[in-house]
Amino acid sequence: MSFPIPMTNLAAASHFGIKTLASRAASALPGGLLESALYVLLAVVWIVALLAGIGLALIYLERKVAGHFQCRLGPMRVGPHGIFQTVADTIKLLVKEDFVPDRADRVLHVLAPFLSLTATMLLLVIMPLSPILQVADMNIGVIYVTAISGFGVMGILLGGWSSNNKWSLIGAMRAGAQIVSYEISATLALLVVVLFSGTLQLSRIVESQAEGWWIWRAHGVGWVAFIIYIIASTAEINRTPFDIPEAESELTAGFHTEYSGIRFAFFFLAEFINMFLVAGFAATFFFGGWMPFHVGGLAGFNAVMDLLPPVAWFGLKAGAVVFLIMWFRWTFPRLRVDQMMRLEWKILLPVGFVNLFAAAIVVLYRLYFFAGR
Amino acid sequence: MAFFDPKGARVGEMFIAGQNIPVLAAPRLQRRGFLSGIFDGLRSLLAGMAVTLPYVLHPSRIVTRQYPENRATLKMYDRYRAVLRLIYDEQGRHLCTVCRSCEKACPNGSIMIEASKGAVTGKNELKNFVWRFDSCTFCNLCVSTCPFDALEMKGDFEHAVFDRRLLVYNLNRYAGPHAALWDKVEDEEQRKLLATPVAPYEGPVPLAGASMQGLPRRAGSPKGDL
Repeated sequence: MSFPIPMTNLAAASHFGIKTLASRAASALPGGLLESALYVLLAVVWIVALLAGIGLALIYLERKVAGHFQCRLGPMRVGPHGIFQTVADTIKLLVKEDFVPDRADRVLHVLAPFLSLTATMLLLVIMPLSPILQVADMNIGVIYVTAISGFGVMGILLGGWSSNNKWSLIGAMRAGAQIVSYEISATLALLVVVLFSGTLQLSRIVESQAEGWWIWRAHGVGWVAFIIYIIASTAEINRTPFDIPEAESELTAGFHTEYSGIRFAFFFLAEFINMFLVAGFAATFFFGGWMPFHVGGLAGFNAVMDLLPPVAWFGLKAGAVVFLIMWFRWTFPRLRVDQMMRLEWKILLPVGFVNLFAAAIVVLYRLYFFAGR
Repeated sequence: MAFFDPKGARVGEMFIAGQNIPVLAAPRLQRRGFLSGIFDGLRSLLAGMAVTLPYVLHPSRIVTRQYPENRATLKMYDRYRAVLRLIYDEQGRHLCTVCRSCEKACPNGSIMIEASKGAVTGKNELKNFVWRFDSCTFCNLCVSTCPFDALEMKGDFEHAVFDRRLLVYNLNRYAGPHAALWDKVEDEEQRKLLATPVAPYEGPVPLAGASMQGLPRRAGSPKGDL
């Protein structure tokens, strides 16, 4: 079932007929390889710029937020309020010695951080930042998201395995167990939104929320799905309270114990961009993506809300979820391994299934709010 | 909640070490119901988040001080221990009677006291109070052991130097009697002879654990290159 989009909504209406960079490259292909390749190159540059920009911003933000949660100021020295601290740290990491431990599996050890970062970049490709800022918009978007986010742990597993260090190996195996478990719950939560919107395409999922975000519209099913999604994806990106793969009190630094320099930076960057991705997908699936906040019947209010460009709306929503995840990190203690497994297999998974079933009933009988037609 | 409440617990007896001793029977651990466990968990998580959020929202709670910038207004706490000082009274006279309690109390031999017979008083008077800042751990034992309250720890912490040997101090400003002994001398002319000024420490500072010039090496004083 798909929703006809009311043409009164300008932001949504402008989305019809927009072309992503991938589709532009594909349609330019008959005209000549060069033009097509230029679009692909533009996409690559955009993704890398996004990666670097968001990475720098998020790492700075994390340190500031961490500081303020602990009655500190955070970085204050490099630039006004320390805004260039991450730049300085990046330069430091880049010039550090690139080290491969003795009797480590050299090829895998070098390859692992790139695999981790590759998964992150592949996910950035599909993120709908705004109606026009999306590199590729495929019709199986949700499947792509779940598949690739599971692929990210490959780099962690390889890194831990190839380091020839028992702490690294234990950390990597924990990460593997964690993602195998929590991927299911995250997918179950996303399936609820897929049921409501009736499509797997991310741009259409965003469009389907023109009349109201899925988290409001679904009689609590959306809330439960959001809570399950945020818990499960916090576990997937190995952040506190689920940071047992790198639990420093037990495993030194877990899977990246033996990494230094630029390859450590890649792991680090992937971790932070993954946080942005989780927040972005939470915004896309539950908070209407780049859609402005509209209240039905208040035309003036809605017009004011439309003043903000879609990318700013997306940034606000994703930023709010990022802050939520950081808030988790600086509030909750770390779970033990068995507690984490119990939470997933005995609580989140059954609740997720029941929630999916309830969502199916809600959709079947069209019980959701703002159904309109 | 999950805590053990001794009031409602069953009391039993156990035969321990030849006598019957009343013991509390620990209750069997009750696992909560599935849904109530979830809601309790969520509620306690939200309670925790409500505790931490105000710290972000109220920057006035920040305790960090921007040190070099706030140097003019910086005030250290009274209990902050950064440097050892002799206490002087209003006339600038120290209170040290050379009882050497601090020297004995110092766990790593950072205090070395030199005494001499006073020419006027004929009593033991402080000549040099040598304090090795480089090996002091600021444990405060010397201050708390001093029977005459002649020592104190102060908060001035800016003592960085480029040579470790500069971290040995003479704490006394003059070689001479303490305040009470000073008062016993009534002749004005003789009083002028009581004190001789003492420069900040100028003697050699052995780094390799040798005894300092004119001062006996004590057990516990640092050995080897510090």
